[in-house]
Amino acid sequence: MATTGQNTLNAKLVLLGDMGAGKSSLVLRFVKGQFHEFQESTIGAAFFSQTLAVNDATVKFEIWDTAGQERYHSLAPMYYRGAAAAIIVYDITSTDSFARAKKWVQELQKQGNPNMVMALAGNKADLADKRVVPVEEARAYAEENGLFFIETSAKTAANVNEIFYEIAKRLPRAQPAQNPAGMVLVDRQTEGSRAASCCA
Amino acid sequence: MDDTTFSYPPIDPTTFDLIVVGTGLPESILAAAASSTGKTVLHLDPNPYYGSHFSSLPLSDLPSFLLSHSQPAAVSLPTDLTTFSQSDADDSTTASQSDLVTVDLTTRPVYSDVEISSHSAELLELSRKFNLDLTGPRVLFCADSAVDLMLKSGANQYVEFKNVDGTFLCSGDGKLSSVPDSRSAIFKDSSLGLAEKNRLGSFFKLVEGHLKEVGSDGGSRRISEEDLERPFVEFLDKMRLPVKIKSIIIYAIAMADYDQDKLEGCKNVLKTREGINRLALYHSSVGRFHNALGALIYPIYGQGELSQAFCRRAAVKGCLYVLRMPVKALLIDKESGSCKGAKVASGQHLFSNEMVLGPSFMIPWPLANSLPDFLQAKLEDIGRDVRGKVARGICITNSSLKTDVSTCLVVYPPKSLYTEQVTSIRVLQIGSSLAVCPSGMFVVYLSTFCDDAIQGKKSLHAAINTIFSVATSETRENSSYEKSEDGEVKPNLLWSALYIQELSMGSFDPFCFTHMPDGSLNYNDLVDSTKEVFQKMFPQEEFFPETTFSQLDDDGELGPSPSDDSLDS
Repeated sequence: MATTGQNTLNAKLVLLGDMGAGKSSLVLRFVKGQFHEFQESTIGAAFFSQTLAVNDATVKFEIWDTAGQERYHSLAPMYYRGAAAAIIVYDITSTDSFARAKKWVQELQKQGNPNMVMALAGNKADLADKRVVPVEEARAYAEENGLFFIETSAKTAANVNEIFYEIAKRLPRAQPAQNPAGMVLVDRQTEGSRAASCCA
Repeated sequence: MDDTTFSYPPIDPTTFDLIVVGTGLPESILAAAASSTGKTVLHLDPNPYYGSHFSSLPLSDLPSFLLSHSQPAAVSLPTDLTTFSQSDADDSTTASQSDLVTVDLTTRPVYSDVEISSHSAELLELSRKFNLDLTGPRVLFCADSAVDLMLKSGANQYVEFKNVDGTFLCSGDGKLSSVPDSRSAIFKDSSLGLAEKNRLGSFFKLVEGHLKEVGSDGGSRRISEEDLERPFVEFLDKMRLPVKIKSIIIYAIAMADYDQDKLEGCKNVLKTREGINRLALYHSSVGRFHNALGALIYPIYGQGELSQAFCRRAAVKGCLYVLRMPVKALLIDKESGSCKGAKVASGQHLFSNEMVLGPSFMIPWPLANSLPDFLQAKLEDIGRDVRGKVARGICITNSSLKTDVSTCLVVYPPKSLYTEQVTSIRVLQIGSSLAVCPSGMFVVYLSTFCDDAIQGKKSLHAAINTIFSVATSETRENSSYEKSEDGEVKPNLLWSALYIQELSMGSFDPFCFTHMPDGSLNYNDLVDSTKEVFQKMFPQEEFFPETTFSQLDDDGELGPSPSDDSLDS
């Protein structure tokens, strides 16, 4: 859920899509400006955060990775809960991954947060010669389902910042909190102060 | 069998250090702990959701879960009677694995006397807005071992909590007295005289002095060993504490389960040592987190979040997750009798030297296939240590049982509801601000220990009839205006589920079965026993090696928690 601080909007963002579609690569490109040709399956990352300045506000994305739990369709409700935005990623060189992306869209629609900003990313746009998913088909699908669509390449960085920037612009500015936020437990000994921080 | 089972790609790899079946809290902690030390772990669950007997379920799913686990599993088709040979095993298996036999795995009933009543037709339409705990009533104490474990493991990042606004104790006259959360609150209590307050003051001084010296060499201020071994109630009498305060300390702070006034025949006499430890836990819980008022907290979206948080932690550390994947049989080594793997519903064989099974799994007896005698004997021996029962109730209402309080704990100590009441009945009300029900509604959990279903149900019904206005056409004329003892309008009962749950302990040999949720209010004992299981299984490994946030930051793997910038309120 997007929560507004003074001028900062905190927004949880989740990535969904087939194994190997490039979810982690997109995040790494966005957060660290890096790209690894052979990015390993996601292990070890919990979430990343990155701050973006848009016209009227600062948006602080808290980006959750699937941690591989999507592989056997075993994502926990916890993953979707309170997400203000989702990027559904497919690989333009794989029709299967596009079909799976549609399944993830359905899954998100079932979770029923009407305010969630959803973006469809056709990744690996640098592999144009191996393309099997036509741009028009994906765009038509996205329009029908109210998604924002763009083709990206984590490898060349094409449109990567753009997709996050566009999401930041589309986040509702004064979203009424569905459930007032609670406190995250933080240990004083490791954090300097053992305090439950309240992210209201 | 579910179609989705077969749409999965085969599980790859097929050999692990540990296979865990069931995603209850103990199983999830074990998966996370093993993954954190670099073990390869496969975590399976037959259900399409996380949490097993520790989950929080939508309204429509709860009755079917309880009912499906209150009768023996349907008899499954006989599986292959032969030992499977190298040819039908996976390519990666070694020759020794052809010495394995399959032994069927099924489930056993752990709930009984499930009683669902619905007084409101509209509730089912809102089913998915409910997250109903199977383990209720359950909270965390800010300083308890579950909170410590969440912090140590990193699972704390995924769950948000809120305070329980207050704790109340019901006295014999039906009045609810507030449990003080600080010393100053006690001294402000106008129902106590000056002499009583002075006695209380010296009692606290004594306890504090004792706690300071425990673990150090000094001893002058320690409470004597003799006193520590005495019943806590006698010690409190010796300190000449007022009856009301004594009752609050025993039942609403130390959370004694049985009547401590009738020591003969009391199932669980609370000794002074344990009583003082629990008082210390309560005391250190208050103010541990500076914006958590009071001692108790509850997770937003329900207790089921805790299993999910540990599973996510495990996944982040490399654990492989497959829901909707029942285990049909165990693969047992013919020579040693130890478990070497599992055969899952897709037919795949998966191997591992260590295996953890959730509490409701069992090996059906007699065995379908004949095994070497020693193995027969060994498997026949698997008994589960069942230590009594707990009666649980889940009620839904549309007004709070205490005006102006949304989330609260109410303790009905022994004899407060009826004269033969020997156990304490704990009631936890959770409001919609915790995202467990639609706004304007409340979920009320009840539990009490019992010897049998009759006793357990009697206690639950006594509490429900006291708390709620129950719309039964025969007994009550105008229930909507019924008032409780303190003149508050009683909330209407819209829906309820009552059930009796077996309290089975975990077992380790020859297979590891985890605990059912215990009858306590927190997870302290459960975390301790789960840690023991881990240490038996991996004696060389630390139970969650210390990791600090700063380390993770250096790796660039973990951004600061979203709330860092708004620490102090």
